[in-house]
Amino acid sequence: MPTLTYLQAISSALRDELRADPRVLLMGEDIGVFGGAFKVTDGFVDEFGTDRVMDTPLAESGIIGTAIGAAVVGMRPVCEMQFSDFISCGFDQLVNVAGKMHYRQGLAVPITVRLPSGGGFSGGPFHSQNPEAWFMHSPGIKVVAPSTAEDAKGLLHAAIRDPNPVCYMEHKHLYRRVKGEVPSGVFETPFTARVARAGADLAVITYGAMVPVALEATEDVDGASIEVLDLRSLVPLDEAAILDSVERCSKVVIVDEANATCAAGAQVAALIAEKGFESLDGPVVRVATPDVPIPFSPPLEAAILPGVERVREACRELLAY
Amino acid sequence: MSSSPTRADEGGPVKAGGTKADDVEPPDRMSGGGDLMDVTMPQMGVSVAEGTVVAWRVEPGDRIEAETTICEISTDKIDTEVPSPASGVVAEILVPIGETVEVGTVMARIATGDGSGASPPQPLDGEAAGPSITETKSSSPSPAPAARNGDRRYSPVVQRIAAEHGIDLSQVPGTGRGGRVRKQDVLAFVDTSPVEEPPLHIESPYRPEPVAPVSDGGQLSRMRRQIGEHMKRSLDTAATCTTWIEVDMARVEVARKRLGVTGLAFVARACIDGIREHPALNAWLEGDRYTRHTDVNLGIAVSLGDDGLIVPVIPRAHELSVEGIAARVKDIARRARSRQLTPDDVQGGTFTITNPGQYGSIMATPIINQPQVAILDFEAVIKRAVVITDADGNDSIAIRPMTILGLSWDHRALDGAVAAQFLATVKRNLESVS
Repeated sequence: MPTLTYLQAISSALRDELRADPRVLLMGEDIGVFGGAFKVTDGFVDEFGTDRVMDTPLAESGIIGTAIGAAVVGMRPVCEMQFSDFISCGFDQLVNVAGKMHYRQGLAVPITVRLPSGGGFSGGPFHSQNPEAWFMHSPGIKVVAPSTAEDAKGLLHAAIRDPNPVCYMEHKHLYRRVKGEVPSGVFETPFTARVARAGADLAVITYGAMVPVALEATEDVDGASIEVLDLRSLVPLDEAAILDSVERCSKVVIVDEANATCAAGAQVAALIAEKGFESLDGPVVRVATPDVPIPFSPPLEAAILPGVERVREACRELLAY
Repeated sequence: MSSSPTRADEGGPVKAGGTKADDVEPPDRMSGGGDLMDVTMPQMGVSVAEGTVVAWRVEPGDRIEAETTICEISTDKIDTEVPSPASGVVAEILVPIGETVEVGTVMARIATGDGSGASPPQPLDGEAAGPSITETKSSSPSPAPAARNGDRRYSPVVQRIAAEHGIDLSQVPGTGRGGRVRKQDVLAFVDTSPVEEPPLHIESPYRPEPVAPVSDGGQLSRMRRQIGEHMKRSLDTAATCTTWIEVDMARVEVARKRLGVTGLAFVARACIDGIREHPALNAWLEGDRYTRHTDVNLGIAVSLGDDGLIVPVIPRAHELSVEGIAARVKDIARRARSRQLTPDDVQGGTFTITNPGQYGSIMATPIINQPQVAILDFEAVIKRAVVITDADGNDSIAIRPMTILGLSWDHRALDGAVAAQFLATVKRNLESVS
């Protein structure tokens, strides 16, 4: 099995889909000749041509709207938002048109929207956000967020092949830092959670870039056996896996890189309160970014994003409870 | 334990804030300058208005710790112990043994405050006296402080494990913050406690009364007298008949071993299903007034050894599975033996099962628990040689675990055909358990 970075795994999935399925096409800002802001589609235009790897104007609403039309007539477009923050310009098309098309008119909208998200590189308030919860709240859209190279590829294949609009949250911080063995060719990762590390005393439930943070933070907390559950999919949310972790561990720390209020982790906490109450041996603890814009200043950014120390301290506190 | 009156010395962090007992306790619970604590007749269930003091464990001047038993009381249904609401010295005893008083009546007073009657601790100066305990850092992800040790609260999982294993959580040492009992604490306690729940009918630790010499009979205990009155009244009232049926318990034996429950739970479930087909048995007859019940509130006779017998009730037992019934039977038996039943636990029954079979007895004529109209007796399951007929009609002799179910029923309320049909239904249910 080849070892790929998270970013190479995304490229690999796109390339394999373009080769396998003539209905697949890519749209985005500077993804063609320039190869993408993060070079995910570097060289694609040479192999697949400008009809299938389309440079678009700086107009997210146009990108997504065009993709919806193409999807309705049978294509499988993959839109790249250069930064996930820019999705707000395409919000209406995604949430109101794509998300409700099947409900209103019975038409499938098999589009994938790639959302390079997350902070940690002094990108400031417009280039660092984690907007997944906006779409979790909107019926008709699936939301997935890989944390490993293998899942980056498998979830992207599954997203492109899914008949629904899928927001694919790819975390910029993981692009070149995360590497792993990735099977060659097309394979689909199910939209379910994954036990990243099994444990018995406490479960950290998280996803995306917080998975490696959680794994590092809980490598050794006073010898406790700590589980890390990687959600992978936020819509649908793998309730069974979450409740299973809660039942076995009885104590839960939920980590979001997103702003705390109404984040994915808030939904997980609500689920546990409703259906996992009988298994709890302590309060459900959340670690998330406070409800503030992401600052440019590196020390300020480091202070607000959940890091290894904060997660470890939260675990230590809860273990002692 | 449901109603320890008031609490003055909970310990824990509140003290540092100078929140004295007389700042927080309702004034009517306190007498004098705030260092005397009343011990009142507790409310032991909604139906009870009064209780009788049976024994005092202390005398005036004795020192007593909070939550230890100060006296024993009795209602017409239940005897129980009253825990002391506070640590201190018994100042006075106001209700003599044998006297019956209303709920809420002050029975004794305890001088708190280190046994010297000194005034309560003064508030400390400085920030500790402020309201800081209500403020927590809003940005901190830390869990809220644990419940105070003197006022123990338990997490859902801890309570569930304790209920499953019949554990008294007040006996479990806590290693969490502030002495909180954590999941691992209760699991460790389960590991060190005797695992086996004793069978229903064993000699009970119910009341270790000093036993008089055998030759000197003496007076009957309260409980014996009450049982005697109830049984005699039933026989004087009902037209009691008893009908028996033989049941092949082979399938039940297999199923109960698989589920790890007793045969009683299966018999109970089979009776509940039988009652669904023959609701005439799930009824009360009071004088001429006959009331059929929709809910099956199932009474289970629990032997308390030499002390007697009590019939706690599993309300709405028809909603429970076999495993659910087994768990509830275990729970009520445990609470019966540890004198933790409340009057509400022993009333409202609509049908009763008695199960004295562990000594090998095979038949009895149970006495109906008034005002119900039927009681089922489940005795020993014994291997017998029986004739069985296969699908082709060939007879053979086989060894089967058999039992005899006896149903005593009130001929005033129903006739023998109904009783026999009911028993046949129960037999069919038990022999088709899967």
